[in-house]
Amino acid sequence: MKLNNFKYFGWVAVLGLILTACNNPAPTNTQSGTQNTQTATPASSQPTDKFTVGLVLVGPKNDAGWSQAHYEAMQYVIKKQPNVALEYVDKVNPSDRPNVKGSQVADDLIAKGAKLVIFNSDDLKDDAFETAKKHPNIPVIHATGDYSWKEGKNFKNQQNLVNIMPQMEYGRMITGCAAALSTQTGKIGFLAPLINDETRRLVSAAYLGSKYCWENYRKKDIKDLNFKVTWIGFWFNIPGVTLDPTKVADDFYNSGYDVVMTGIDTPEAAVQGKKAAEAGKQVKFLHYTLKTGCDLAPDICLGVPIYNWGPLYLDTIRKAESGQIKPEFILGKPDWSNINNPDTSAVGFVFGKALTEENKKTLEQFIKSLGDGSINLYQGLLKFQDGTDFLKAGEKATPQQIWYMPQLIQGIEGKSK
Amino acid sequence: MENNQLKIKDYSLRFGTLILTFLFITLIIFLAGASPKEVFVALWQGISSADQFARVLSTLAPLLLCACGLVFTFMAGLYNLGIEGQIIMGAIATTFALRIFQDIIPSYLAILLGIIFGIAGGALWGLFAGVLNVYGKVNEIFAGLGLNFVAQGLTLYLVFGPWKRPGVASMSGTEQFKETVWLPTIGNTEASPIALILAVLGLVVTAIVIRGTYFGLQLRAVGQNLRASYVLGIPAYSRILGAFAICGALGGIAGSLQVLAVFHRLIPNISSNLGFLALLIGMLVGNGILWILPVAFFFSALNVGSLQLPLSLQLESSLAGVIQGSLVLFVLLARAFNNIK
Amino acid sequence: MKIELRNITKRFGNVLANDDVSVTVEAGTIHGILGENGAGKSTLVKIISGFIGRDRGTIILDEKPGEIKTPAAAIRAGIGMLHQDPLDFPTLSVLDNFMIGREGGKDKTSSIVLPKKLATKELKYLASDFNFSLDVNEILGNLTVGERQQLEILRLLSLGVNTLIFDEPTTGISASQKDALFAAMRKLADSGKSLIFVSHKLEDVAVLCDRVTVMRQGKVVGEAEIPCPENRLVEMMFGRELASPNKPKTATAEVALQLHNIILKTDRLTIEIEKLTIQSGEVIGLAGLEGSGQRLLLLMCAGLLPATSGNLIINGQDMTNQTYQNYLKAGVGFLPADRLKEGLVNGLTIQDHVALRQSIGRRSFVNWKETLTVTKDKISLFNIRGKADSKVERLSGGNQQRTQLALLPIPLNLLLMEHPTRGLDIESAIWVWQQLIARCQTGTTILFTSSDLDEIVQYSDRILVFSGGNVSAPIDTKELTVNKLGQMIGGKFEDGGLGTGD
Ligand SMILES: Nc1ncnc2c1ncn2[C@@H]1O[C@H](COP(=O)(O)OP(=O)(O)OP(=O)(O)O)[C@@H](O)[C@H]1O
Ligand SMILES: [Mg+2]
Repeated sequence: MKLNNFKYFGWVAVLGLILTACNNPAPTNTQSGTQNTQTATPASSQPTDKFTVGLVLVGPKNDAGWSQAHYEAMQYVIKKQPNVALEYVDKVNPSDRPNVKGSQVADDLIAKGAKLVIFNSDDLKDDAFETAKKHPNIPVIHATGDYSWKEGKNFKNQQNLVNIMPQMEYGRMITGCAAALSTQTGKIGFLAPLINDETRRLVSAAYLGSKYCWENYRKKDIKDLNFKVTWIGFWFNIPGVTLDPTKVADDFYNSGYDVVMTGIDTPEAAVQGKKAAEAGKQVKFLHYTLKTGCDLAPDICLGVPIYNWGPLYLDTIRKAESGQIKPEFILGKPDWSNINNPDTSAVGFVFGKALTEENKKTLEQFIKSLGDGSINLYQGLLKFQDGTDFLKAGEKATPQQIWYMPQLIQGIEGKSK
Repeated sequence: MENNQLKIKDYSLRFGTLILTFLFITLIIFLAGASPKEVFVALWQGISSADQFARVLSTLAPLLLCACGLVFTFMAGLYNLGIEGQIIMGAIATTFALRIFQDIIPSYLAILLGIIFGIAGGALWGLFAGVLNVYGKVNEIFAGLGLNFVAQGLTLYLVFGPWKRPGVASMSGTEQFKETVWLPTIGNTEASPIALILAVLGLVVTAIVIRGTYFGLQLRAVGQNLRASYVLGIPAYSRILGAFAICGALGGIAGSLQVLAVFHRLIPNISSNLGFLALLIGMLVGNGILWILPVAFFFSALNVGSLQLPLSLQLESSLAGVIQGSLVLFVLLARAFNNIK
Repeated sequence: MKIELRNITKRFGNVLANDDVSVTVEAGTIHGILGENGAGKSTLVKIISGFIGRDRGTIILDEKPGEIKTPAAAIRAGIGMLHQDPLDFPTLSVLDNFMIGREGGKDKTSSIVLPKKLATKELKYLASDFNFSLDVNEILGNLTVGERQQLEILRLLSLGVNTLIFDEPTTGISASQKDALFAAMRKLADSGKSLIFVSHKLEDVAVLCDRVTVMRQGKVVGEAEIPCPENRLVEMMFGRELASPNKPKTATAEVALQLHNIILKTDRLTIEIEKLTIQSGEVIGLAGLEGSGQRLLLLMCAGLLPATSGNLIINGQDMTNQTYQNYLKAGVGFLPADRLKEGLVNGLTIQDHVALRQSIGRRSFVNWKETLTVTKDKISLFNIRGKADSKVERLSGGNQQRTQLALLPIPLNLLLMEHPTRGLDIESAIWVWQQLIARCQTGTTILFTSSDLDEIVQYSDRILVFSGGNVSAPIDTKELTVNKLGQMIGGKFEDGGLGTGD
């Protein structure tokens, strides 16, 4: 009897261990129960003219970044097109929802009446494709990705699949320019996630922006500009797997990089920048995708390039409603007349407090020139890091050349692969 | 007669526990600010379509295999928390085999080799935990947790390193395998008959080995009293190692199935915590091996159905975990209570 | 305190362990409870001390109905019990064990903070009062059974009990510890406490008790005032008179066991045996105080403890450094004293054990039907009160011992036993020795320890006396008087020992 009781204590202890392991701390949204019941209408009470959109979010819908931008885009769509109803599941990734696949979530959303499904991550591209194949009558939007791009490398002839991606390269050029205008030391750091086509494209764009503004507005020699990218290996810190972004950011600030821009999901560039500034260093940072990113350290924030999916989604959903969906690869353009217009511009830039009035004017001038075509940064002569030609003198880049850059542009310090 | 009385007592205990658990869960749902009725309806809806039911079956297969594996270690008196790592190593080994063989030999052979590699990978990892336990005198719980950590790290390394998708390392795992090496499924759903057959076979073999063979009997003896078993002439340590290896092998098959039938690639969280879920099942069923089938089915259904909680009720799907956890807790308490009496 | 038990009934499944039992224990007396194995003695005293519940019946304490549902409640009511198998915490110190079980606030000595100083003082005082020698800081696991028992008595007394129950306290303790125990018990009775003494040993009952109750198959079959003729008690216990067998000569000319230059070292003892030869069929008794090295020798001969140096030869085969499995193959059997720790597996049935024994060397499927037949045969042959599917921990102490004996392999060349009849009633003990002698006649050699000198003298051909690791030369039983044996156990070896040194 005695022994057995001890054994049960053992069991209970083990149970505790397992339970904590099972319910690993997924970032939870405590308000979700009350806040969103109005928008996620139960399937049963749908009038027939309702058009239900299923949204599969890779992260929490309030992640203050990527997934939240998509969730807010759908709120925007509903405001503009009130017969649209939203069914969504967030945190669709194997660590938050083990044993759940994006395609399964889509199946369930469709079973609940979704007539169109949106996937919001590159990580979900196989799921998006699988869903499109399994439900040929349901239009599927994959935000990011290139399966529907006829001229692209990975084209899959799938009639109901649409890819959407705002042209963040412009956002990045503006970021790069802001950095070049503001740096005192001529050293700009880029705290970057992992290396793929998209991130190579964006880092290169940032560099092109910096280079242009350094040479043309600051009238300095490009040799005196030091632009360094450090890839941590993922979108956020995974101890033991990625580099520690905190340390990378510190290294930048401590070795004279007085402007650091970030491309990762978490705010180390801002947080460590703030600490460095408090310690008396003259440093600035640029955040990414989060509209309110400057609030992390307003006094040293130069700005934030942001995505605006709302108008793109609205347009595609309207097409789907009227049955006009076709496989399409949509590159969301900035509205050059006002890049921060929520109804028209796919890419925006929030100006930060640390940007001086003069520099802000210069930056606006830069944006205007990008818009009217008087500046085209994707024009030769441009070389890759290994010295081979990216664009020959005078040659303008095709969308494919921009999308699939095999290497970083020459002048950037950091790995291409 | 003695046995009959015991059985009636046993069943009424189980039944009473079930009702208590149910009440407790209802209370928790109330406290979480939801309506219990809605939650149960949602869970039910979450498994009622053909697609969803197929998902229940496809989760059931690895779950059954892991639970069966754990029967061996439980019998030997071991808490094999390393089952997660054993699933992962099975999955890694399967992926390894498929990467080599999927293009050079017929698909069915590649699949077969994948499963064999999975068995070997899981068994080795299990044996490793056993060696640490027997010869290194490391408590099997800590050995298991440590090895889980290593296996998890290895997966991340592979997914982000040598086995990353061309150009794009991502959390979504390695490149998908060719469709020809996916396990065939029933219709357009995700249930694979081969996976189910393997799992049921695993259960039958487990039941036979535990109940009908000297090996099973010796395991039970070793689990209850290592010293006495040794004095009685049982090679106790080799039996413990055997239990670890078998558990690892079955976990390895589960890992293979996660790769071949569910994800069709290696993903960072390939085990999907099914090992831990299987531990809960093991605790719940105690010695009643055949109870594994209904309990695993129930857990699988709960697991799959819980996707409806965020979907239709904006509730965290981890509520399903709470339900499973409280069920186990109550059963353990009931058993402890019964024992003290 | 006067204790009256009225119509106590307890059923385990279909075993009626206590059937309408009524006993009265007067204050200030020692009351014996006698009975064969499985008679229900332990069950009865466990009911009194709150360890198991009763189905029916009342307990009246000093003319008032007593509610005793848990051991703690029993202690509050003033009743404490020493178990047949000690219930304590072997990894804790003597002092910690002494303090365990106190309730906060019951008296001034206990509170949330452990009153170590006070407790130490109390323990030392009590120990000297009873002539017990206990080291308060020793780890309990290093104590002998007798010392653990002494500690338990003191612990219960410090909790304020006025009734003490002893369930077979004399098995496994040395003669001097037994004397100290009996003196303490007498002293307690004289101070007005009541004591209940469960035993098989008539002579113990005769010297100690004021009154006995005899049980058979769950029922009270008689009561007697002491003194009372022994054969009357035996008749009450078994329904007939018993005669003990005489040990015939079983030794042959063949050599069964040879030890050469053996040195066995542990952190507490070193045993040296230069040369020892034992004939096949011989019975060797190992006498000595508990913990003097007898167990080490048995373990070594069983293959469970490697010798530090020297050679061990069994039936001409050098077994030094062989695996335990090979010892088993060579026909060596070991019967440990601690049945539920070393001999039997908790949670497994008798049939499971029989199957386990068969499993050695076999690997495949169990033929449960065949094992069932074998098990049933053994149960009836060894007169085990239990069924094939009874879990061993549910058997009474004596029946566990019979099960262990039933599990010994056949054929057996060398049998090593610790306390072979511990816990057995007289009838069973006699029967067991008949079986063992029969085996010796077919060539089995036996080495056994016992705390019962009579048993050693009665059944051994030769005797080895152990004293603090020194081993005497084998002595022919015929040349031995109990007096001389007593002196040797005290350490006086006339002709030197087996050790190389002396
Ligand atoms: N927990 C239990 N479950 C089932 N049967 C039991 C249990 N405890 C005791 N018994 C049975 O009750 C009967 C009486 O057992 P008990 O232990 O009281 O005997 P005992 O008189 O102390 O014998 P011994 O002298 O051998 O110790 C035995 O047949 C035993 O098998
Ligand atoms: Mg007893």
